[in-house]
Amino acid sequence: MLRKLLWQSYGKLQMAGATAGSLIGFVLLISISQFWFEMDHVLKTNEDLINPDFIVINKKVSILKTLDVGNTDFTEGEMENIRKQPFADQVAGFISNDFALSAYTESERFPDFYTDLFFEAVPDTFLDVKTADWKWEAGQSTIPIILPQDYLNLYNFGFAPSQGLPQISPSIIRHVNFKISITGKGKQTIFNGKIVGFSNRINSILVPYKFLNWANKEYGKSPEPKISRAVIVSKNPSNPEIAAFLNREGYESIKENLKSSRLNIILKFIISFLGGLGILIIGLALLVFILSFQLLISKSGDKIRKLSLLGYHYREISRPYIYLLSILISLITLLAGFSVLLLKRFFINFSGDWGLELTPGIHPLVAGGGIILLALIFVLNYLAISRQTRRFSESG
Amino acid sequence: MIISLKNFIPLPLYGHKGNSGIWESEEIIFESPRKYLLLASSGRGKTSVLSMIYGVRKDYRGSIDIDSCNSRNFSLKDWSELRKKRLAFVFQGLELFDELSAWDNIQLKNRILHYKSDQEITALAESLEMEGYLKQACGTLSFGQRQRIAIIRALCQPFEFFLGDEIFSHLDKKLEKQCLGIITEECRQNNAGLILTSLHKLEDYAFDTLLSL
Repeated sequence: MLRKLLWQSYGKLQMAGATAGSLIGFVLLISISQFWFEMDHVLKTNEDLINPDFIVINKKVSILKTLDVGNTDFTEGEMENIRKQPFADQVAGFISNDFALSAYTESERFPDFYTDLFFEAVPDTFLDVKTADWKWEAGQSTIPIILPQDYLNLYNFGFAPSQGLPQISPSIIRHVNFKISITGKGKQTIFNGKIVGFSNRINSILVPYKFLNWANKEYGKSPEPKISRAVIVSKNPSNPEIAAFLNREGYESIKENLKSSRLNIILKFIISFLGGLGILIIGLALLVFILSFQLLISKSGDKIRKLSLLGYHYREISRPYIYLLSILISLITLLAGFSVLLLKRFFINFSGDWGLELTPGIHPLVAGGGIILLALIFVLNYLAISRQTRRFSESG
Repeated sequence: MIISLKNFIPLPLYGHKGNSGIWESEEIIFESPRKYLLLASSGRGKTSVLSMIYGVRKDYRGSIDIDSCNSRNFSLKDWSELRKKRLAFVFQGLELFDELSAWDNIQLKNRILHYKSDQEITALAESLEMEGYLKQACGTLSFGQRQRIAIIRALCQPFEFFLGDEIFSHLDKKLEKQCLGIITEECRQNNAGLILTSLHKLEDYAFDTLLSL
């Protein structure tokens, strides 16, 4: 009878909204946490998930080669041989400068500096830096340059702190102007150098392929461009065939190990963002929940006062509200559990097609966390309801 | 039960000229099973005294001791127990739930302790000529009818004092007499005291003490 009396001012739409909101937020949060664990699992079992992979190879350097007896350049025949390998989807040679090259600064803002230098170039499609500045046309006096990210890191986290020098952000470096002097075939030309980006993929000082090709013809000692290193794109870098081939031919490679872990970080970032969103939705739903109950109780304020006059304790009065709350929370728990399991089933079917293996069921941490969260929502609402019924009781 | 008002005066009356001399007394004692009638014209503090004894209002000077305990220190739980088992109250404003039927209103009180059986309640309603209105929503009843429902409701609990605030104001002499008869009978069964307020004398019944405010 108390229930009948107190539920009369019950806003069905509001409660339904709050319940649906909590449900959606909850399913989102649970799915995301579950997905987090799944992804961890999937990435661990499929390191090379994010293919294709880039493999940079070079010939081994031996004492003979240091003495300039051998040669570490790839011949056209060797390149052809690499291209024929089944694992090599794309192959390109690095070309390097065949002339004397130096860089120096002439700026008032930066200390003077001079260095001898080398350049390498690969076709643009092999680059991981995409910028509009990366182009060179004959007659252009500014040369865009890409440095390895590692160089900047070495400076910022190794050299600069140890020498008490300021750290430099990539955007500042882009504004440093310096001169590049090229000497060969009896001529010298001065160009402007400009750093346009940092590469994680290729560990070298890169200039546009077109420029280096031109410069080698213009200033170079040998008539043919030399291929110092080669880059192979392979869809399956874990193919044992590759290692065997490199061994057989006496080549070395540094696999780009960083990349999948970086992608991993990006994925985790996105998932964290979605998780944050889920928490936000749950927070809002919780708010709507509490507000709906407060409104419901406020609307019944006079009834609560009268009941208190009849001798009802505020705990007895809050019981129908707690009962309603329990029903809604149980409903959310059941529906959320059901939805998440359904989603999971759906994804397992999907992932089978993609050759990914998912863990069965819900991760115990996720399930436990979900239950704790629901318990928290229940307790918070319970406290809010008790507090308010007490307040109205005291007025009677 | 002994209700003792010590140096008591409702704050709204404090400092007013022409107050009753009763507010100057050091102690006013209500003792069950005695019967008291507070007689006064409007605005003299009748309702205030009763609601302060019942713990609804706290704006008074002095203290109200119930069985030697200062009622200012009572918790919500204490008040709840007191109202469930020891003090019956019919409010001037009745405080019925208009949206519930007369029967449900009575049951809302009765269900706390399941004090009276359905037959007993029906019998009470019959003696107050309300048996035909029990299924009707309270909001649709006349004030006099609602007064009777409120009286029946108040009787659906054990009590040591029955407090009634102008509870016969809309009843004719005959019904007034019937109501008072039932209340005094219930008081006798409970060995309880009675405090009623009224604008005029309730002549047919002998009260032990008559206080003029």
